Amino acid sequence: MGQGQARAAVKTAPPPFSPILLLGMALKPVRPQLLQPIFDSMLGIIRRRHPDILERMADYADKPVCIDPTDLPFVILLDPDPAEPRLTVRREIDPDEVAATIHGPLDMLIALAEGKVDGDALFFSRRLVIEGDTEVVVALRNAIDGAGIDLIEDISRQLGPLGRPFRGLAGAAIGLIDRLRDDFEQLRASLIAPAVKDVDAQTARIAALEGEVKQLRKAARRGGAA
Amino acid sequence: MTSPIRPELVCPAGTPAALKSAVDAGADCVYVGFRDETNARNFPGLNFSRKELGEGVAYAHARGAKVLAAINTFPRAGQPQIWHQAVDDAARLKVDAVILADIGLIGYAARTAPDLRLHLSVQAAASNPDAIRFYAERFGIKRVVLPRVLTVQEIAAINSRIAPVETEVFVFGGLCVMAEGRCALSSYVTGQSPNMNGVCSPAGEVRYSETPEGITSELGGFTINKFAHNEPAGYPTLCKGRFLANDKASYLFEEPTSLNTLAILPDLIKAGVTAFKIEGRQRGRAYVAAVVQAFRQGIDAVMAGRPLPDMDLDRITEGGKQTTGAYEKAWR
Repeated sequence: MGQGQARAAVKTAPPPFSPILLLGMALKPVRPQLLQPIFDSMLGIIRRRHPDILERMADYADKPVCIDPTDLPFVILLDPDPAEPRLTVRREIDPDEVAATIHGPLDMLIALAEGKVDGDALFFSRRLVIEGDTEVVVALRNAIDGAGIDLIEDISRQLGPLGRPFRGLAGAAIGLIDRLRDDFEQLRASLIAPAVKDVDAQTARIAALEGEVKQLRKAARRGGAA
Repeated sequence: MTSPIRPELVCPAGTPAALKSAVDAGADCVYVGFRDETNARNFPGLNFSRKELGEGVAYAHARGAKVLAAINTFPRAGQPQIWHQAVDDAARLKVDAVILADIGLIGYAARTAPDLRLHLSVQAAASNPDAIRFYAERFGIKRVVLPRVLTVQEIAAINSRIAPVETEVFVFGGLCVMAEGRCALSSYVTGQSPNMNGVCSPAGEVRYSETPEGITSELGGFTINKFAHNEPAGYPTLCKGRFLANDKASYLFEEPTSLNTLAILPDLIKAGVTAFKIEGRQRGRAYVAAVVQAFRQGIDAVMAGRPLPDMDLDRITEGGKQTTGAYEKAWR
């Protein structure tokens, strides 16, 4: 279950141990309303630079979708009505309020929005969890993938002369997060190493026992036939 | 001995962004569909408006690539108008070929757009020289997309008997085990099929629910599969459902697996195939870019006499598994 969705119908896998998870913990005391201007700006950028997203969602105007970044303490409600679209940040959303919910770690959701990862592949590997109306989720996925979103480029274009320094800052921030992610992964591997060793030993023991059971069954069948 | 044909790489695009990704990644051709039931990937939020297709054709042509329009569903009896309109618009927008399945629609295209190049869709299920020659002689079909039921040897034998008709074969992506264009499994459960409506297992009929044991997928209200927590999932189609037989749940038709022929590209080229097709107009542009790049490198390596590069496409396959399917019929 995402930190931000207290009443989700789906119990999703815990988010990965990452810098964003720590950021999410730090953001817990922050009231979601304080973050709303960021999402208002994002919606403005989408309307100006990618109007085709809402156009492709026209058949689903009355089907709000909840986007649940599982490592952050809030969820995002997308109301895709082309006439009056809304992107609202909330602490929690009742599953009955929305047509569908998409759960996944923030960096994966951003990569999905930018077309850097394939939605079907994420679903096959079970890293992306959806619930509710599958049709509206598929439509949203296709609409966003088809828009060719590039978040840094989209934001910097809106900043005029500040766009260039923004690009530089964003690039540096991404580099820092990537380095931190590698460090976190190393830390995670070290922390769970003893448990992984135990699991490997147990897996080998189970495989040996399964082999023995197979042999015994074979022997029993041969005995029965005789 | 004649040198092998350099095969065209025919790539999927469900959106304008995917078309650009495919062209930029090295596609020779991109195949697309209109935003309606005239094509076999009539999925929500997918496909091209007329304006988008016009822009897509301009983008591809400016970079030396072709665009093919798939109009490959079967028109409803007595209501062929939107299919006729699709052929008219494809010709007007200067696509390089249309991919058709219905014999009546092929006749319409041959009559009304004699300069339009016609390809026979896999949905027509033409899998022998007599059937292919009939389409070529009667309607001027230039290329046939072969059903995914033939071995490489069978494809070579067909090629030797149908010249100058070209063949196109699937090299990567989802597999259909049923007779192409005649599968009724989806319509049996949902009332809609890929053949008539362009949707196999329409998303509106699909539900996923998490349980303590894992995830359950339902189609049309029927449970068709259950995946344990760490088990890779597949598409929610009935052919890839798990069924109980003799008290054992198993895949009776086929497992969630993707076709991948990278390892046998040299054999397919030797068999005289003109075009290699990647399945997946419903997939995102990340899939399109990854698969197109891999096959571009693979084809270029074979044509240059270099060994095939080692390319891992596991992460984008269905069920995390790959097969060479009927091309090798390894199960025999």
